[in-house]
Amino acid sequence: MSGLRGIWFVCLKESMDNLRDRRSLFLALVYPVLGALLLGLLVSFVGGMFRGQDVGRLHLPVLNAHLAPELVGYLGDNEVEVVPAPADPRRAVRRGRADAVLVVPPSYREDLAAQRTARLDVVVNATRLSTVITVARVVELLRAYDRQVADARLRDYGVPEQAAAPFKIQSVNVGRSRNLAGFFLNMLPPFIIFTIFVGGVYMAIDTTSGERERGSLEPLLTNPIGRWQLMLGKAMATMLFTMAAVLVQLLAFKLMFELVSSRETGLQINPDWQAFLAVFALCLPLMAFAVALQVIVATVSRSTKETQTYLGLLPLIPSLPGMILVFVPLQAKLWMLSVPTFGQILLIGQLMRQEPVALSQVAVSAGATGLAAAALLYVAARLYERDQLLFGG
Amino acid sequence: MIEVDDLHKSFKAFKALDGVSFSARDGEVTGLIGPNGAGKTTTLRILYTVLRADRGRARIDGFDCLTERRQVQQRIGVLPDNRGLYPRLTAREHVRYYGRLHGLGGRELEARIETLFDRLGMAEIADRRAKGFSKGQTLKVALARALIHEPHNVMLDEPTNGLDIASSRAVRALIQEMRAAGRCVVFSSHIMQEVEALCDRIVVISHGRVVADGTPEELRRQTGQRDLEEVFLNAVEGHRNAADPARPEAAA
Repeated sequence: MSGLRGIWFVCLKESMDNLRDRRSLFLALVYPVLGALLLGLLVSFVGGMFRGQDVGRLHLPVLNAHLAPELVGYLGDNEVEVVPAPADPRRAVRRGRADAVLVVPPSYREDLAAQRTARLDVVVNATRLSTVITVARVVELLRAYDRQVADARLRDYGVPEQAAAPFKIQSVNVGRSRNLAGFFLNMLPPFIIFTIFVGGVYMAIDTTSGERERGSLEPLLTNPIGRWQLMLGKAMATMLFTMAAVLVQLLAFKLMFELVSSRETGLQINPDWQAFLAVFALCLPLMAFAVALQVIVATVSRSTKETQTYLGLLPLIPSLPGMILVFVPLQAKLWMLSVPTFGQILLIGQLMRQEPVALSQVAVSAGATGLAAAALLYVAARLYERDQLLFGG
Repeated sequence: MIEVDDLHKSFKAFKALDGVSFSARDGEVTGLIGPNGAGKTTTLRILYTVLRADRGRARIDGFDCLTERRQVQQRIGVLPDNRGLYPRLTAREHVRYYGRLHGLGGRELEARIETLFDRLGMAEIADRRAKGFSKGQTLKVALARALIHEPHNVMLDEPTNGLDIASSRAVRALIQEMRAAGRCVVFSSHIMQEVEALCDRIVVISHGRVVADGTPEELRRQTGQRDLEEVFLNAVEGHRNAADPARPEAAA
């Protein structure tokens, strides 16, 4: 029997066998979709925050509004409707009953009349992320009002307005995509990496530790086919299932982005299909790497249970750098790209943000990870040759 | 033709085989008997290429079980002690899988499967998935996949273990049929009546050594016992008594 045919028959059998395991298959494909669903909900929630407050009027509770009719009028002109404040503003904001409350102190009129600095307290709760936009808008309006009043006073004294305003400070955003969108796109790589390391796990377990535990490994080993071929056939089938899981996930992400961006939210994130295809191609060597690692673990563990424990922990390790990169985006250096998992995380991020990716970067990442995968497969083949294959350990 | 010459095999500190030698000829049924843990399964495992001997040689039709594994595998049909099936595959798919791994395919393979299923009375379970198969049904599938390539040498590890009377009888008939076809059959068993009814030669293994080897008639003559069970106990006990004081390495 030629080498390739044998590998193919083993792969075919394992694929057919596991396609019939409906429950495992279902679970293996649910996770990737779940990730996209979660991210979709998050994006539309945050996007909804932008939309809800950009347009339409803002309701702002103001305590002692009667003391500051000019301010109330100014707020009214700027689409902010002043509503009665709760008796205890701090409590109300802490409990989340109001996003922010403006407190006008009893001494407000006196201070203003005497041209002293009058206090205006904005009670906020910084731990509630969803109030950030409201708070920012209120504070900005108050600053503008402050400026307006100051300018009026200066005019009264005959001083030019610019004299009291030596600086005009503005930040200029040069990010290619909007910052917040970039933040969400940075969350994609950890999800994808996790799927790569989890997509074929049950298959790796079933075809190696499972095969041994069922007692079907021993007769299989008496067939005229090299053990490395058996291993490769099983690894190939595991690879196919991993590829399917990753494809499903990328598809789910793309559909999610289509859906969210079509709904006129404040966020514009929708990487094109080519970017997703490129991510899939980029991840192929890493999938082989993950599969080889799974086969090795399944070969040396003593039982299916033991394998499950180890392989359950496995995806956490490579996902960690990705989690960190969500918050601290790094500029990809060439040497980083040669580290399996890490390189992919950086490049997936670039592809998803639609930043240019150099061919040399892809080559370094794919080459290094491919080599590592080949080395691991060689180790797996050696492990298959041992007597212990029959007993585990 | 199976030739075993001075096989040694240890698992960590445990000496499983301590110089096993025997041969099994074509057209004969050779029975491997011995107490539990004597080394029967280990010997068979080395013969059917899943374990490596530490020392000594095993050959099948002249091919070395270690260095010419592929040629050996093409010439053997094996029913190991572990005869697990794939619960989600049908009986036919099991046999087809093994047939393909032996390089068979197409109409020839399907025709062979049909013939074999007829012979083993498997029509009813042919296209049923293996999940929930009885011991007898499992054994039939395991036998069918072991024999699909019509191997010249057949090794069966306790083939009737746990079977009902009808299934055991079917297995015995199959063994006799293979002998008549000139094949070399080796099987291990605990059941003396079975050994007596089937075997042309008996190899008694105890503590990793061959303690008796010959036709049932020869063994009876050597020990002076009529009953084969007595012959067996005699050989094992005699070896133990003779061997223990002479085995300083066991005490060390």
